[in-house]
Amino acid sequence: MTSLELNNIRKAYGATPVLDDVSLSMEAREFVAFLGPSGSGKSTLLRIIAGLETPDAGEVRLEGRRIDQLSPGDRGVAMVFQHYALYPHMSVRDNMAFGLRNVGVPKAEIETRVAEAARVLEIEAQLDKKPGQMSGGQRQRVAIGRAIVKHPKLFLLDEPLSNLDAALRMRTRIELAQIRSRVDAAFIMVTHDQAEAMTLADRIVVMNDRRIQQVGPPMEIYSRPANIFVARFVGSPAMTLAPVELVAGEDRHARVRMGDGAVIETRVPRAQLPAGGGLQLGLRPESVAVATDGTGAARVKVELVERLGERTLLYARFADGAAITAEDEGYSRVKVGDTIDLAIDGAAAHLFDADGRGHHAEARAE
Amino acid sequence: MVADAKRARWSPMTLFAILLAAAVMLAPLIWTVLLSLKENEALIGNSGAALAPPYTLENYRSILQGNQVFRWLINSFIVSAGTTIGVLALCSLAGFGFARLEFPFRRTLFVFVLLGLAIPEQAVILPQHQMFAFFGLHNSYPGLILPGLAGPFGVFFMTQYMRAIPRELDEAAKLDGASRLRLFWSVILPLTLPAQATLGVFTFLASWNSYWWPLISATRSDMYTLTVGLAAAQMNYAQTSGLGFLMAQAVFASIPIFIVYILFQKQIVGAMSGTAAR
Amino acid sequence: MKVGGARKDWSGLLFVLPFLAAYLIMLIYPLLRGIMLSFQRVDLFGGGQFVGFDNYARLFADATFVQSVLATFALALMIVPLLTVLALSLALALNRATRGAAFFRGVFFSSSVLSVTIVTLIWRFVLAPDAGLMGEAAQALGAEPIPFLSHPTWSLWALAITTIWWSIGLPMMLFLAGLQQIPGDVYEAAALDRASRWTTLLRVTLPALKRTVVLVVMLQTAAQLQVFGQAQLLTGGGPGGATRTMVLFIFESAFARWELGYATAAAEVLFLLIVLLTLTQYLTTMRGSGNDGGR
Repeated sequence: MTSLELNNIRKAYGATPVLDDVSLSMEAREFVAFLGPSGSGKSTLLRIIAGLETPDAGEVRLEGRRIDQLSPGDRGVAMVFQHYALYPHMSVRDNMAFGLRNVGVPKAEIETRVAEAARVLEIEAQLDKKPGQMSGGQRQRVAIGRAIVKHPKLFLLDEPLSNLDAALRMRTRIELAQIRSRVDAAFIMVTHDQAEAMTLADRIVVMNDRRIQQVGPPMEIYSRPANIFVARFVGSPAMTLAPVELVAGEDRHARVRMGDGAVIETRVPRAQLPAGGGLQLGLRPESVAVATDGTGAARVKVELVERLGERTLLYARFADGAAITAEDEGYSRVKVGDTIDLAIDGAAAHLFDADGRGHHAEARAE
Repeated sequence: MVADAKRARWSPMTLFAILLAAAVMLAPLIWTVLLSLKENEALIGNSGAALAPPYTLENYRSILQGNQVFRWLINSFIVSAGTTIGVLALCSLAGFGFARLEFPFRRTLFVFVLLGLAIPEQAVILPQHQMFAFFGLHNSYPGLILPGLAGPFGVFFMTQYMRAIPRELDEAAKLDGASRLRLFWSVILPLTLPAQATLGVFTFLASWNSYWWPLISATRSDMYTLTVGLAAAQMNYAQTSGLGFLMAQAVFASIPIFIVYILFQKQIVGAMSGTAAR
Repeated sequence: MKVGGARKDWSGLLFVLPFLAAYLIMLIYPLLRGIMLSFQRVDLFGGGQFVGFDNYARLFADATFVQSVLATFALALMIVPLLTVLALSLALALNRATRGAAFFRGVFFSSSVLSVTIVTLIWRFVLAPDAGLMGEAAQALGAEPIPFLSHPTWSLWALAITTIWWSIGLPMMLFLAGLQQIPGDVYEAAALDRASRWTTLLRVTLPALKRTVVLVVMLQTAAQLQVFGQAQLLTGGGPGGATRTMVLFIFESAFARWELGYATAAAEVLFLLIVLLTLTQYLTTMRGSGNDGGR
């Protein structure tokens, strides 16, 4: 059953367009991440769903009912703000009860809901404290609690993990996953951190430049990016692109030649590629290794070596100047300035046409 | 050396100068208190008697025994309290409107209100007097309170303060289904308590000490505020020759102010510095 | 499908309306009415006859009015420089975190919370030759007590001293606030430059306080041009109108002689003078002062 539907949302601030014909539909209980750089429009989209902004065109529907003309309090959505926005002068209990009191929920019911949320979030001991007396992590749980007690159909999370340090981030990620399993609602999370999106979401909506670039499950976004932007935004370190030429031929899969002559056998069906040039080859570091036995397809010069412990990243350049990132084992002996041979896994290669659209390897027939 | 000027002791010369200045500051006050503690008769033609005992509390007793001064005190209190409540209410509402809400011409209206800060009392007091006479509002509490509600300072003050409250709270409240009035009353207003205290004390004090308007509006002696009453007492002094009693009235009138001053010193100074530094 | 957004929401105005009503009715309307009144001849019997600039012409031909303008300006000239210097000196001396300094700051500010009638009551019996403190002191020293309040020259000084005593608190606080905004490292740099106390004061502290000084001068000028209570109660404007300030003149014209139109005209003249003076002070001193002492 469709839970949330966005149809042709458009928004501009004065002369500056912010959202350009955005449409999306979500299932009930789905966890969707809006992922994109700042300025992509993701926060505006979230605020439009919440009712804090009105779209210039388009409609928002929740469980079939149009909500874009309702006030935020009447939409059945709850939001957890980036900086929590807790009422500083109210106790935790009152912070959570405020919304319920405003809509006339009976006192007994309010108490039950607040107690239950406090139990789930383990903040029972803080119920009578004020936000100022609590740590950041605790405050976030109160903010989540405030959202939970409303029993909303849709949770909106605005950059929930960006304020937290690394250790707290891990914990909160786990907590969010747990809450998700206990609550019967859909979740939308806005983030600029692709790792967060990848780990928490069922589906990722990648946004850039006021439009949706791609919607899909994390692995699909990762392995079959729809365009160059998505390809480079998701995955760290980013995929490298090099201009290539299509080698003429009759075989099913495209074969391309790189600037320095190396020929890569991809598994991208030749038929898929549009006519004309401007092709680029996309390779993620994990599909580029150091060739140990002289079977390397390409020769490059290493410009930067990053040792991460479990692996080493090698940033190198072809003779013609194209850049490429390779991955080696943690104990790699490669040094800056070395000239090495790379073994490229063509089967994992992606091709991007002149319009930036991605073409990917055919799934292996099982 | 210069950097710890704050911690350094005063040089003897500086200390002497400060003490001298302080003496000049306090001498009139002490003199007044001394005069108030003498019998009227003892002071006739010889105020120097105040410098020596015997002292008495007789004058204060007269005041406390239901003198007109008491009536004046109550009037001052009613007018000042009324003005303060009125100003806090109007300025909080208006400040909320200017700081948190959107409506057409908001910015223009705000500037329009701010310009009022430049209007001096004498430019409006005579027409005000005429207006209030027309409506028969003189010699009444509303007549004394109403003009005090029109001052733009309070609006400016509350607007600035409310502007500093994070917007996210408004948004959270909206999602909590709060109407604007609820947002104002339950969320924003409680967060402005320090500003309310400052504005409240400042308004109370200004209203208590105001002279010109009550002078011309409250012409019946039972409607005098304390400030006006003291002026009348001064002017009638020649007929009464009760110097001790007169000074006791001055001390008596100062007590409420000093109590407020001691309790709310921070707010008063803050408000006055804030006014000027705008 | 188009969704709202072009709809203008006037409802926010409701919050501002109560104040706005008070403001319009009791400040703006009287302001405008005052200007109109100044062009009318209004007396005890009503009237309201339009007479153009007659009132203004009469004013400038009126010796009493001219005298009051001079007296007002003289008074302001006596008060403002002295007040500023004294307040600044006090602020410099008391800009310390010690309890003693805090105590003295409180002492010097305490007079500001008193009403004008209390102040005049106090000072009348300081200045009065027969019953006043000064009189007693003079007698003790074997000198003749000076009748401050009825002396042609001393009376204005008497008002000035009273006013300075009364008003020292606020400028002192403003200077203290200004001093506290000077970052400590400026002083440290001066120390490293081997600057003497005096040089530091002249070259570092005072320039940094320029804005505050201008502010204080502007505020006090505007305030002291409007002296009323002290003149009315201490000297009654005398002797011979020597201490009749403009506001006292306005008051007497309106409430002693019932010439409302004439009095309003005088009020407008004072208003104009204040605005002009304040503006002049602001423009001549703040022009080209965009820097804050090299922060």
